[in-house]
Amino acid sequence: MRHEFDCQQPPFNQLSESQAHTLSQSLDLAYYGQGDIVLDAGQQSDAVFIVMKGVVVELDPDELQSDNPDAGVIGHYTAEDVFGAISIINGRSRYRFRTLEETIVWLLPKAIFLQLMEENTAFADYFRHSLIEKSRLIARHAPREEGLDLSSFMLARVSDTILREAVVVNADCSIETATGQLRQEQADSLLVRHDTQLGMLTRTDLLDAVVMQHKTLSSPVGPLASYNLFSVQLGDFLFNALILMTRHRVQRLVVLNDQTLVGLVELTDILSFFSSQSHVIGLQIERAQSLDSLGRAARAMDELVQSLVAQGVKIQFAMDLLAALNARVMVKAFNLLVPEAYQQHVCLLVMGSEGRGEQVLKTDQDNALIIDDGVEWPECHQVMQQFTETLLSYGYPPCPGNIMVSNPEWVMTASQWHGQLARWAASVEGESLMKLAIVQDAHPVAGAVELFTPIRDFMFDRFKGNSVFFSHFARPILHFATPLNLFGGLKGSEGLDIKKGGIFPIVHGVRALALENGIKITNTFERLKVLAERRLLSRDFADNLAEALAVMSMLRLRQQLKVQAGRVPERDGNRLVIPELNKLDRDLLREALHLVKEFKAFMEHHYHLER
Amino acid sequence: MVLKALRMARDRRQHREGQYAALFEPYQGDEVVALDCELTGLDPQKAELVSIAAVKVKGDQVLTSQRFDVKLQKPDSLDADSIKIHHLRGVDLHGGEVVGDALAQLLNFIQNRPILGYYIDLDIAVLNRHLRPRFGFDLPNTTIELSRLYQRKMQQVNPELQPDLHFDQMAKKLGVPLLERHTALGDAITTALMYVRLNKGAIPV
Repeated sequence: MRHEFDCQQPPFNQLSESQAHTLSQSLDLAYYGQGDIVLDAGQQSDAVFIVMKGVVVELDPDELQSDNPDAGVIGHYTAEDVFGAISIINGRSRYRFRTLEETIVWLLPKAIFLQLMEENTAFADYFRHSLIEKSRLIARHAPREEGLDLSSFMLARVSDTILREAVVVNADCSIETATGQLRQEQADSLLVRHDTQLGMLTRTDLLDAVVMQHKTLSSPVGPLASYNLFSVQLGDFLFNALILMTRHRVQRLVVLNDQTLVGLVELTDILSFFSSQSHVIGLQIERAQSLDSLGRAARAMDELVQSLVAQGVKIQFAMDLLAALNARVMVKAFNLLVPEAYQQHVCLLVMGSEGRGEQVLKTDQDNALIIDDGVEWPECHQVMQQFTETLLSYGYPPCPGNIMVSNPEWVMTASQWHGQLARWAASVEGESLMKLAIVQDAHPVAGAVELFTPIRDFMFDRFKGNSVFFSHFARPILHFATPLNLFGGLKGSEGLDIKKGGIFPIVHGVRALALENGIKITNTFERLKVLAERRLLSRDFADNLAEALAVMSMLRLRQQLKVQAGRVPERDGNRLVIPELNKLDRDLLREALHLVKEFKAFMEHHYHLER
Repeated sequence: MVLKALRMARDRRQHREGQYAALFEPYQGDEVVALDCELTGLDPQKAELVSIAAVKVKGDQVLTSQRFDVKLQKPDSLDADSIKIHHLRGVDLHGGEVVGDALAQLLNFIQNRPILGYYIDLDIAVLNRHLRPRFGFDLPNTTIELSRLYQRKMQQVNPELQPDLHFDQMAKKLGVPLLERHTALGDAITTALMYVRLNKGAIPV
């Protein structure tokens, strides 16, 4: 370990060389034993503290409880973390800082700190700014996630996910029939079999033949095709395919598995793969004619998520994109499975995170069905069972609470829905409230979507002005009231449940506010926007909560990707082990949790949730 | 021992009116100075000074902002072996300060504070070898031997135990990070941190 302070870490990397020198020359070291108070609430500080070794816990002394050592915990600071800066800016410390174990800190004298703040705006901004600005500042310096870089893109291979099915016709097939096939298969080209040879026939070839060469519609396509084909092997680098196309100025290649034809690759697909895989998956979903080909597209989505994360795409965009793609999979599966006669008499709802459009990786299936009153559909249960199983085979895990269309409880006629909602609303018991929350996030995706509107409106009307209901509805926010206590065992590997501790309070709190104020959109970010527009939350607060949610969702996503890669056991998908996070993430997470705490306090006051 | 006391008494008398008189006053403050010299060997009669570093310790704090860190001219005896130990090459020492100036600054830095160190007698012996010809006295400061303090504290907890007095082992036991081992300043700061730790509360068994 170096005795000189490392100025490579934010915010110190904002300092000029001479400022960094000034800083490192003015630091002292201080040793604190276990349980020592470094800085107490209300105390003035004459230094900013940077942890060299050890752990410092930030506590709200008003919330200490003798029987619960973890009560009032706000945050933890470990190696390279900075605390006490805000106390200097504000004059006094708001919270108490106490060591959890023996700790050595660097002391940056107040005078030097203030001088650096004055000299260097970027450095000062780090301490003055809100979470949004801070994460932007940090993002500029953030190192790329290991093993998820762009090279994975360049190493992509010719595989099922990019293949188009080859439509093969015989040489004696007529122009009319061939055109019909192209349309039916939504393809751009056909392969023409002429004896043992294969030829390529594009839409342009057909158009030329009819318009320019005045062929009749019944003339055979055999002579029109070009038999000079280029091929790649299945599993070859996509990049090689691209080079081959560029070299020979062709737009399509035949893909062979050894000698067997397995499909085509098209230039446009390769180019969009390199620019965004999402387009290809979107096209695949649209083009899928069978449950199998739809499944291939659905399964490719997890890779898409990885590359989006690798490219540093903002998580809200990733959520929007994945929500759109998932919805298209549902619609397509619905249309393939539900007989056409019933499609306009039932409505498929997606609920939970999927309904809010906030899932990135495939999360539990939460779905339900509304059947129009008076429609008899005897095979309904069987078809819904099949629907659930199909999604399961596509990699959508089952809902542990069994909130799925395969469960007859979640398949109801419109009037049954009204009755059920009324019953749930009347009981203020936990499970009913949870079910209401799930339905509030429901989003109709397929079938007769208009069936959902009266049901949703019924639910919103039902609770208008019912303040007693809301104090029950919002209460679960406090269930994990001191989630940060999981931090307490920081030395161990317990970690922090980011879903319960951070994401849920925001999502559920915002949901309650939305229900109270008749805001019918389901996405949390959108709900926050509307709450700010209606001045129910201040603009700054709403924006910062959105950013906090984004930060925590991103951290959770990274953890889930680790699970997917098999590097972390599945039960730890929501569990962040704080010492394993890098300093940037710890900084952001701490800010985010501060906001969660503030939001909880706001909600407590708003709904009179006394503990 | 007797000889040393006699020599010190004589030094004090001779310098009573001189520039360095304050050095011979008993120390009243609450600071100590952690000192470490990088030497070219372990023989006090032959070892040369490569660099000298010192930091002040006040209460629970190591005042690294007030530090003394000087690299000296290349001594003749800086050979390949000590380069291996200290990762110092001859060229690093060019432009360093001559021993006399360095010692004058060091005296000014330490004043009459107690000197803390790890096997401090060796460092002091080498310093004295250079001090006496130039200034006419040995360092009069009281010294605190880190390894002895460590041994005493450990044996308070477990009298049977003969603790491991290797620098790295003590640091490990005390949970103090090893800072740039084998640089004078790094070792001085680590020594200071161990001292602060030893003066504070229970020792881990």
